[in-house]
Amino acid sequence: MNRTLTIIVKRLGSLLVTLAVMSFIIFMLVEIMPGDVAQMILGQSATDEAVAALREARGLNDPVFQRYFRWVGGVLTGDLGDSIYMQGVSINSILWRRVGHSMILALTAFIIFVPLSMFFGVLAGVKENKTTDSIISFFGLATMALPEFVSGVFLITIFGVQLKWLPIVSVIPIGESLFTNLEILIMPALSVTFVMFGYISRMQRSSMIQVMHSDYVRAAVLKGMPRKYVILRHAMKNALLPTITIIGMNMGWLFGGLVVVETLFGFPGMGSLLMTAIKTRDVPLIEACVLLITVIFSLSTMFTDVLYSYLNPRVRLQGGQK
Amino acid sequence: MNDNILEIQNLNVQFKTFEGKFSAVRDVSLTLKRNESIGIIGESGCGKSTLAFSIMRYLASNAEMDGVLNFNGKDLMENTESEMDKIRGNRIAMVFQNPSTSLNPSLTIGFQLDEVGIMHQKLSKKDARKASIAALELMNIGDPKGTAKRYPHQISGGIQQRICIAMAILCKPDVMILDEPTTALDVTTEAVILDSIKDLKDKLDMSLIYISHDMGVINKVSEQIVVMYNGEVVEQGPKTKIFENPSHPYTRALINCMPRGGVVKENTKLNTIKGYVRRRGIIESGCPYVDRCDARNDTCEAKYGMRMIEESHTAACDRAYAEDIEDTIIKKRKPRVRIEQPKELHTVLELEDLHKVYGSRRKIYAVNGVDVAVNGGTVIGIVGESGCGKSTTGHMVAGLHKPTKGKMIFNDTDITSGWRKRSPETLKDIQLIFQNPGRSLNPSHTVEQIIGRPMQRLLHINSKEERRKKIISMLHKVDLGGEYLAKKPNQLSGGEQQRVAIARALSISPKLIVCDEPTSALDVSVQASVLNLLNDLQHDSEVTYFFISHDLNVVNYISDTIMVMYAGKICEYGKRDEVMSKPFHPYTEALLSAMPEVDPTKQKDPIRLEGGLPDPAKKPKGCPFAGRCHKQVGKICEEQYPPMVKFSDTHYYNCHIANPEM
Repeated sequence: MNRTLTIIVKRLGSLLVTLAVMSFIIFMLVEIMPGDVAQMILGQSATDEAVAALREARGLNDPVFQRYFRWVGGVLTGDLGDSIYMQGVSINSILWRRVGHSMILALTAFIIFVPLSMFFGVLAGVKENKTTDSIISFFGLATMALPEFVSGVFLITIFGVQLKWLPIVSVIPIGESLFTNLEILIMPALSVTFVMFGYISRMQRSSMIQVMHSDYVRAAVLKGMPRKYVILRHAMKNALLPTITIIGMNMGWLFGGLVVVETLFGFPGMGSLLMTAIKTRDVPLIEACVLLITVIFSLSTMFTDVLYSYLNPRVRLQGGQK
Repeated sequence: MNDNILEIQNLNVQFKTFEGKFSAVRDVSLTLKRNESIGIIGESGCGKSTLAFSIMRYLASNAEMDGVLNFNGKDLMENTESEMDKIRGNRIAMVFQNPSTSLNPSLTIGFQLDEVGIMHQKLSKKDARKASIAALELMNIGDPKGTAKRYPHQISGGIQQRICIAMAILCKPDVMILDEPTTALDVTTEAVILDSIKDLKDKLDMSLIYISHDMGVINKVSEQIVVMYNGEVVEQGPKTKIFENPSHPYTRALINCMPRGGVVKENTKLNTIKGYVRRRGIIESGCPYVDRCDARNDTCEAKYGMRMIEESHTAACDRAYAEDIEDTIIKKRKPRVRIEQPKELHTVLELEDLHKVYGSRRKIYAVNGVDVAVNGGTVIGIVGESGCGKSTTGHMVAGLHKPTKGKMIFNDTDITSGWRKRSPETLKDIQLIFQNPGRSLNPSHTVEQIIGRPMQRLLHINSKEERRKKIISMLHKVDLGGEYLAKKPNQLSGGEQQRVAIARALSISPKLIVCDEPTSALDVSVQASVLNLLNDLQHDSEVTYFFISHDLNVVNYISDTIMVMYAGKICEYGKRDEVMSKPFHPYTEALLSAMPEVDPTKQKDPIRLEGGLPDPAKKPKGCPFAGRCHKQVGKICEEQYPPMVKFSDTHYYNCHIANPEM
């Protein structure tokens, strides 16, 4: 059977198991969060009777497992429940628009930081211990050390306050869509880039250095292949492979990181939605958001593995030597 | 026309490090004639490879070189990098030690071959592929078209190296440099590759520079020999003269420390070279070998310099003519007095129908039925090509793997289960020494911890002082001293590391030690001292060795009985002299014939094994060796597993040829 296909099937299987386990953990974590949902809905001034009645009505007195399976059953049929804070608005109607925004933001950042960090990583690796390498490595370290909220504030100060090129906050005016306000993507995407750049370019640099010192690169040079050709044809493919894995692994992490960036810029994405949900103890919304991040994380990891196995002939074509 | 294709004059290579500059190649001058082959020999760290890479002008950025590299009348030192690109792989080609890492894992064989033709001869893609296929055919690679489409990992090590050689000869270079090209390969594969190298040299009118640490291999392929020590040429001359009259003490020591035909533990203690190759700073001068030389005297340092021994044979030693230096090749050897008491033979280890199958879905049949009884206080040598199941068998005895089927009896105790289920007593009695001491010793433990740990666990010596006393006496036994207690493995040389590993194994006085290729990662001089040590310790303590090696010379030297394995089964078993002098199984015969011989006067009729071991994923049917056998008798070989033929009480083999004299 085709090796890549086998990997896809296997990974899909383990993906389902992961999601089942994660959904339970998420549910339990939210369960032990302090605060009573019924009390939250009704507010501090509600009478005990009213709270008790609401608890009964929403099934909050049922055993934990019963409530868990009711939730999972809902999720499987596409019903994520209603938001508590926004008084009975269905989560489906808020969440997906926000997810779409976050996806676009992540994609924008991805398009900026992946080629950028890979290119500079390769460059640093080829120029190992030269000035170019030192400059890139220093810059990478510096941006990596800056958390998103610091670099974000820098960006706001420079481009928003001083130069006034870009809006200070990334909100979409009522009645308009993201596509008519694309400029609000730039600053959040840049601050994500800052964080990812240092990490990925460093990884790319070290894998490039490893490949440049490998026996097969030496063999290629001593075959009389010019340096540029050796780098492009012999070194690059092998050096990019490990980085692809690292980028894939970080895609999920990036979505988690969006919480900070989106909150900072007020960007209407899933991250800021999750932030609001946590602040307002909106249990069903928290559960839905975290579960979705888990799904995205798992899918991107799986996609990376499949891509890796497809690009690497040693995995794709088994057989020959043990 | 000038007959000298390459002239190296006063070549110096220095490396700048944090500890200062040190010299890797010093004042080397060499001349390579057209269609001549030079063999460069020396231990690791002697600058052989650095010399090769300097000819290619490929050195690390902290290297400085000066001298003259006249190639075809032009000095390569004056070439720019892009001019060098036109020479590398085109006029001077190189083949490396490790073919599996020298081929790019993500490009097809064909692509990697074609680019040479495209780049150097400006061929079109189609013509380049044609040339590549022709080169593969020249190297006798079956199905060259199919091979070209494969990736390196789908091809065995021996074929990979042939592909690397095919790549090197694509442009019919003037000079081919081979840096230990067969060191990582089996003897049988090595023999085939050496043959084809010799063949190609004349066919393509090439000159060869062949680098090796193995005198036997050098003897096979080269006409001129250059002995290097610590970056300097210490002796050079035609092969026959060097072998007949080795003059530099280092050359003599090097020849004498290799175990080879006729040299066995009963009559000879191997020659060793004390100390190790030391890195030399650039200011140091004089004889590089002086601190390790047994033949030095007060005057030799002052009189250091190259001398003519006879016509075209030079050696860098004033004492080269001295008569009082003993141990010249074979003529004078220290006979070793060893009183052999008739040992009372008792079986210490019995293997019954031992099987090991790896994997569940894709099965690998590693060991397919091994029956053998090992006598206490003897050394059983297990030989065979890599993948024949010898290490797996050893690991099962040591308890690292559980056999799939069969039984192991050790001193009347069943030890078939893995080490977890063995009694502390059995654990203590069976120890293991690995091939690579650098990797098998915990890098963060001190020597004291490494040797002391089993003493504490299995002998329950809990007092630190008592343990330390014992450890120091163990260290003395392996020729190390108490100053090693606090050292960590990375502060030790390879030989010292292996001594520590041996001390660790012996520290709890085991009855059986599984030695898994204990010397194959070591230099020949270090190998000699480790073999001597193992031999002495065995003689003193009556321990039994289960000695695994791919090197027949080593096995011949140390073993009392020899077991030859092929595809997980025993081919031949017998006393050492029986197996070595009258090999009956065709495989044993082939192995012996593939062994590189050090004595240039000895000529063996070569038996060359083509192909490799049978696919271990298929359950063997018939004789596993049938496909490669030069004495196949007929269909029966492929269909029936051969019966055991008993030649004497102690000597038997598995073959359909019932009467080997026929």
